[in-house]
Amino acid sequence: MMPSMRILVVDDEEPIREALSAWLIKDGYRVSVADSGLTALACIEDDLFDLYLVDIKMPGMDGIELLGRIKERQPDANVIMITAHGSIQTAVEAMKKGACDYICKPFDPDELSLVTERVAANQALRNENLALREQLMEQQESSFEGLVIESQALREIFESLREVAPSSAPILITGETGVGKEMVARAVHMQSEQAYGPFVAINCGAQSETLLESELFGHERGAFTGAVKARRGRLEMAHNGTLFLDEIGEISTKMQISLLRVLEEKRLQRMGGSQDVAANFRLVCATHRDLPRLIREDQFREDFYYRINVISVHIPPLRDRLADVPVLADHFLEQYVHETGKRVEGWTQRAMGLLMAYHWPGNVRELRNVVERAVVLARGHMIGADALSFLQPGLDDCRFGTMTLKEVEISHIKAALESTGWNISRAAKQLAVDRSTLARKIKRYQLTRT
Amino acid sequence: MASWEHVDDNRKSAVRTLNADPVITPRKNHIDIVPLGHVDPLAVSVVAANLQSLIGLNADVLAMNPDPEYAYIPQRRQFDAIKIIKEISRNKQGARLKLAVTELDICTPILTFVFGESQLGGAVALVSLNRLQGGAAETVFERAAKISVHEVGHVLGLEHCWEIRCLMHFSRDIEQLDSLPLQFCSACEYEATRRIRHLYSTLSRPSS
Repeated sequence: MMPSMRILVVDDEEPIREALSAWLIKDGYRVSVADSGLTALACIEDDLFDLYLVDIKMPGMDGIELLGRIKERQPDANVIMITAHGSIQTAVEAMKKGACDYICKPFDPDELSLVTERVAANQALRNENLALREQLMEQQESSFEGLVIESQALREIFESLREVAPSSAPILITGETGVGKEMVARAVHMQSEQAYGPFVAINCGAQSETLLESELFGHERGAFTGAVKARRGRLEMAHNGTLFLDEIGEISTKMQISLLRVLEEKRLQRMGGSQDVAANFRLVCATHRDLPRLIREDQFREDFYYRINVISVHIPPLRDRLADVPVLADHFLEQYVHETGKRVEGWTQRAMGLLMAYHWPGNVRELRNVVERAVVLARGHMIGADALSFLQPGLDDCRFGTMTLKEVEISHIKAALESTGWNISRAAKQLAVDRSTLARKIKRYQLTRT
Repeated sequence: MASWEHVDDNRKSAVRTLNADPVITPRKNHIDIVPLGHVDPLAVSVVAANLQSLIGLNADVLAMNPDPEYAYIPQRRQFDAIKIIKEISRNKQGARLKLAVTELDICTPILTFVFGESQLGGAVALVSLNRLQGGAAETVFERAAKISVHEVGHVLGLEHCWEIRCLMHFSRDIEQLDSLPLQFCSACEYEATRRIRHLYSTLSRPSS
């Protein structure tokens, strides 16, 4: 398969243009020629080229000036400067101004072919990269839509996140275990400038301090017993991407100091190493702990807290946004039906009532586990209340008992209205729905203050 | 590889040295080989035989031409291949296609040296044995044959081929040239045959 790069040869000497053109055409390239900088500019008015071979020394507009003009019109243009021996300094200057290479005439036959093949290969890679980025951007458009939500509370949170995600400001996500903090962090990453870089996650609460340090900073060979070879740390791996530190409240103050230094200097040294390594990333942290309280108790550094908490996001527990339960349950149901191949179509009204009544201490993670188990154990096309008997004991004794979904909803709305003194706005906020939605339900169910 | 010793009588008869009259009545599927200065006649014969066996072109070896002094570049102490090709192209006598062979060191304005040069889709190719030396005589002859067939391929309009086992694949150096087989890939072979058929079907010269 022959390359189809379009090349413009710019040289004031006809023998050079002729010889270069003949050589490149034999390699299958499409070649145009220009005898001066002005002619070249006229050529690129009509069309752009994949590669420009430009003689440095030309009367009138020289190659350096033409290089600048080409770059104005086509910033990612591949420009190779042709220079004679003795003009290497000028060629180097051209490279500083954006030329991708230079060759000294006369050049060895293999040199020219190698240079053009390299540009052709780079161009092909660049085109592939652009195509993949476009695909990624299409996915990015739906990255927040990909999160399954129904409640107004989460919608508002994600609207604000969508605005701040493109920045590089550190984000601190708080919320109980299992609310979906990592999912949110990934969604932020996909919408950020670091989307094309890596997303590196680590749970700071899952390992000892020594192991965590090695995991984060990496180590050089021989840094400690057992370090038989060098290893990159997560901080280094996250360079030009996003670093997600889950359970940030679990790290020691010593580790907080080390991390603070990395965040400020954007470089680090591996354990046992002395060489600086670049570590520039967007930081997203998450915790279920009350960091301000930990600060008051001297268990968390205030300077580190303010460094990681430029933007703060709190994901409410699932029990406070019950509107998300049905959509999440359906989403997981569809997922596990697909995985298991079981023919399960949905939930009975009573089963959904039970799901809505449960207080979900494990939040979304627990809901997912419940759905998975229900699908696996399901015997019919619909999952009934009996499939959910494994939920916490005494569920049948819970205040909803065997009420219908409508009855559960009425009871819950009444409870919220009572707790807020029939302040519909506050009750709506507590139930995580629009005020107008709540007002409609009050009217529909004919609820009145007693 | 078709060396002179292995060329059969039929092929030998296709190689005729005409010493008296350089003007040849053009014939179908013929190519004139034009020695520039002294060139090892055995090398020329091997080139001719391979042009016939690989491309189907019958070669007529013309009388030796003088060194192309008009193309000499004093500062480089080499001969400009493009100037030589242009000069030979001006001679419309003889076969439609011409292959000039020399032992002089040739180059182009942009390249430090070339093994051969040609007009893509033109009429004239030029090869030099100068940089093909090194090794046994048989090896040098084989290199000459490869370069000649490659450059004549360009004259027929074939571009460089990405197939590394094809004679039209670009050879950066002697080592790569030696690794090339003395054959085209099936695509280039088909294309060469097609172009020769087209080329000579459009000629109105008398055939033998």
